[in-house]
Amino acid sequence: MRAAFSDALVRLAKADPKVLLLTGDHGYALFDNFRRECPAQYINAGIAEQNMVGMAAGLARVGFRPFVYGLSAFIPVRVLEQIKLDVAHDKLPVVFVGDGAGFVYSHLGTSHQATEDIACARSIPNLAVLSPADGHEMSACMEIAFQHAGSVYLRMGKSDRGHVHPHPRPFAIGQLLSVKEPAPNVAIAILATGSMVTTALEIANSHYPDAGVWSVPSIKPIDEYTVAEICLRHATVVVIEEHSILGGLGSVVAEIASERAPTRVLRLGVRDRFSHFCGTYYYLLHEHGLDCDALVSRIRRFVNGEA
Amino acid sequence: MNASSLSPSQPSRSSFDTKVMRKTVLDMAYAGSTVHIGCAFSIIELLAVLYRSHLRYPGNDPLATERDYLVLSKGHGVMAQYACMRELGWLKDEAFSGYFADGSDLKGLSDSRIPGLEVTSGSLGHGFSVGVGMAMGTKLRGTDQKTYALVGDGEINEGPIWEGALFAAHHELRNFMVIVDENGFQAMGRTQDVIHLGNIQAKFESFGFEALSIDGHDEDAIDRAIKQLWASQSTAPKALIAKTVKGKGVPFMEHNNIWHYTRLDQDSYAKALAAVAGSAA
Repeated sequence: MRAAFSDALVRLAKADPKVLLLTGDHGYALFDNFRRECPAQYINAGIAEQNMVGMAAGLARVGFRPFVYGLSAFIPVRVLEQIKLDVAHDKLPVVFVGDGAGFVYSHLGTSHQATEDIACARSIPNLAVLSPADGHEMSACMEIAFQHAGSVYLRMGKSDRGHVHPHPRPFAIGQLLSVKEPAPNVAIAILATGSMVTTALEIANSHYPDAGVWSVPSIKPIDEYTVAEICLRHATVVVIEEHSILGGLGSVVAEIASERAPTRVLRLGVRDRFSHFCGTYYYLLHEHGLDCDALVSRIRRFVNGEA
Repeated sequence: MNASSLSPSQPSRSSFDTKVMRKTVLDMAYAGSTVHIGCAFSIIELLAVLYRSHLRYPGNDPLATERDYLVLSKGHGVMAQYACMRELGWLKDEAFSGYFADGSDLKGLSDSRIPGLEVTSGSLGHGFSVGVGMAMGTKLRGTDQKTYALVGDGEINEGPIWEGALFAAHHELRNFMVIVDENGFQAMGRTQDVIHLGNIQAKFESFGFEALSIDGHDEDAIDRAIKQLWASQSTAPKALIAKTVKGKGVPFMEHNNIWHYTRLDQDSYAKALAAVAGSAA
């Protein structure tokens, strides 16, 4: 996924000299290719994220197309007010790329873990929120972000969980992508975003072979009609994300369901808590109950009416 | 209601008479029963000189692509900028008599959706960085456009100001000028009592700026200093430290921070108008 990101960025920058990459002194090896291919379009703004976002607004106002890169703990969370006032307020064409979302920096603790970024970003008007699951979705998201008439937050989480799509998968902003077709009249549907799409497929293949699975790379805007259709057809809709259950994709689905197609929505994500310990990425998923066994257990109890 | 409809074809004939501009601010503050009079009065001369002699708006169009940029980072002084925009014919009289009416679009702080206002400010420490970005962008494009960021002295408590100052100096943004309205007050009192700023000129110089300090109400001195800074051969970004008086022009408002918060009543409005009318041109 990171290679897809880097390739897309280089391609966009070579095609349009107005594309600029601003980084807050992050992305050491990630931008080797960009710096080699487009050195004049690379700006290291230093360890000064607030100023970097304000500058991106100024650059966009005079005609440039800035991509602003940082860790998702900082972009968008640390600079949320700059995004709101300086950028999104006027639909400036700035793309914010938040890397390492969720528990990617599993050993580094709370400062580098971001499980509130979707909730923060999606409440800001004029700001689209994209969350690709694999390299193919990333390529499509970069194209969407560049074409979008407004500001974009692109969330990049755990990037090495393999492909969920066998082939390149262009899509329209808002679209849900089926990654496993449901059997007729099945009771459970699973929606997931980012890193958790792989997990959703693992759970479905091992425990719910009839269930359909959808990847949701566009959290805002989202095709409400399709979400409502899924809710109408299933007694239980399970939503999995490496993000807080407050304000993320689970909330999006629950909000749509409650207004348009009431059904039982199980939000599986981070349950309003910080990580206590450190360890591998998979250790932290386990700590937060986001490993396959824990998730299957939660789904089973929910379906049985026990939780 | 869109009271601020533009008249871009109307050429500027204004001399930016500071008496007229102060009266405009008083009229709108009284009409809208608004606050922030003192911090508008401290920048009247600065804005008059900038609009009269320095800012370039081809075709008198506030959205002209090749314009210079004036970023009012201290959005609280926006009434002074509205007064200039009236002089330019960008705002009509109804916008002033109807200030703060329900459904009107001129707000108590700068809103970038109004042509002529470059940023949405009021949350402090934002406009400076946006201005640095504009200066960087016009430098990359190779134009001769200039960017001014007008900040308050209280505002430079904010960290992003100094983040942006480092960046502007590192990238030799000689097309960028910060103007500090050093009126000595911030919301809760004197700057020297809240967060002592020391020598602001020396601070910007130590960050790599070429800086001058002037009397911010002496129009000739302001004009000369701006010309001198732009004429410099140095590639450093520029800083103009303007020593000003909060509430300047109305004796009972001068150096009195209550006029950051107080609304005019009939009596104080009449007295303020008389003071402005009687002051030296």
